[in-house]
Amino acid sequence: MSETATKKRVPVKRWIILGLIALGIYAAFLGPTFLRPVAPVVVLPSEPTGINIFGFEITNTILATLLADIVLLILAFNAWRFAKSGNLVPSGVHNFFEMLVEMFWNMAEGSAGKWARRFFPITGTIFLLVFTANMIKLVPGFESIGRIAESPHGEGYASVQLIPGFLYSIDKGKPVHLEHSQGEGETHVVESEAAGAPCTACEIIPFLRGSATDLNFTLALAVVTVIMVQVFGVMAIGPGYFEKFLQFRRLVNGGPFGIIDFLVGFLEIILEFAKIISFTFRLFGNIFAGALLLSIIGALTAVAIPAGLYIFEVFFGIIQAYVFSLLALVFMSQAVAGHHGGEAEGAEAH
Amino acid sequence: MTGDIVEAMRLLGAGLAMLGAIGAGVGVGLAAAGGVQAMGRNPDAAPIIQTNMILGMAFAEAVAIYALAVALIIIFAA
Repeated sequence: MSETATKKRVPVKRWIILGLIALGIYAAFLGPTFLRPVAPVVVLPSEPTGINIFGFEITNTILATLLADIVLLILAFNAWRFAKSGNLVPSGVHNFFEMLVEMFWNMAEGSAGKWARRFFPITGTIFLLVFTANMIKLVPGFESIGRIAESPHGEGYASVQLIPGFLYSIDKGKPVHLEHSQGEGETHVVESEAAGAPCTACEIIPFLRGSATDLNFTLALAVVTVIMVQVFGVMAIGPGYFEKFLQFRRLVNGGPFGIIDFLVGFLEIILEFAKIISFTFRLFGNIFAGALLLSIIGALTAVAIPAGLYIFEVFFGIIQAYVFSLLALVFMSQAVAGHHGGEAEGAEAH
Repeated sequence: MTGDIVEAMRLLGAGLAMLGAIGAGVGVGLAAAGGVQAMGRNPDAAPIIQTNMILGMAFAEAVAIYALAVALIIIFAA
């Protein structure tokens, strides 16, 4: 690239960024009150988007997960086509995929050895899904664009018509106090099907909310992972795998220590459920707290500081996805290999 | 009035439950400190140390996660 080209390009981006900052300051402090950021509502369960498929309600977190799936499928198809093309020098997103595959393959091979071929698809899939879900959650529009509705707590903001009958916003300057405070999101531009003023004390129910801010998403991943741990354990050691939990053999011929071992077996059962709980709440807690932090700080100081927190959130999204898949890998490796020691011990006791 | 007190105590209890995060914070910090020291002494072993460090951090963090679960149960379920 020639020097004149770079010299020409840099100021343009600088002015765009400066313009966006000025726009942000105008919207947050100087402009009409319906542009101002609204303090978030803390809603733990996912909210329905109003879409029903065969009587099954699609919530906003399901919609976000489906979106992540689609993005991931497109990327994967892209990478697959590239791999089939026979081109050996990857570029751009393919480079990223190669790095990822290499990293996870080495990780799987390092801790699982010959089982790496079995574990790698599962841990890799978990990482990619959680990573994609965490990244698209940060796209503006998540948790801020939605349908406008009457606040269930009888408390919110008055609505403002932007395009009558179609686009609404909630106005921070006109809080409606029927009971206690309510509001949603940073930009709060809203589509609504109802004509006229849709509600008195309004809040926004977003169409899209980060998948991992829903316990169902993380719980499903955790349950699948822990079940797969048991499946791999049985595949490696056979039915003897369950002797880890119910050590009848040790109880019969282990003497007084056999009783202790038998009770330790129950602890192992509890440990499996603890794995599910810690998998679930680690991902959920981190992402939910991150989303909350972003919207609270965004409501307090709308300019500059949220940008730093966004970087923080990107970092945490990557780390949590990595930790989830790493722990899944470690538990699977333990189930496959760790119990062999116990088996040998049992054989010795005979 | 009594309902308000119950509500206040519930929120207070949820806040107190999160005291469990103190231990997890100390644990995660210790793990990071140990990991960074080890990597400083032996940079070649950094990948292995890093993996194990993150693993240890995840287990230390689990305590805070149980505290969070208890706090959420107190606020939303109990």
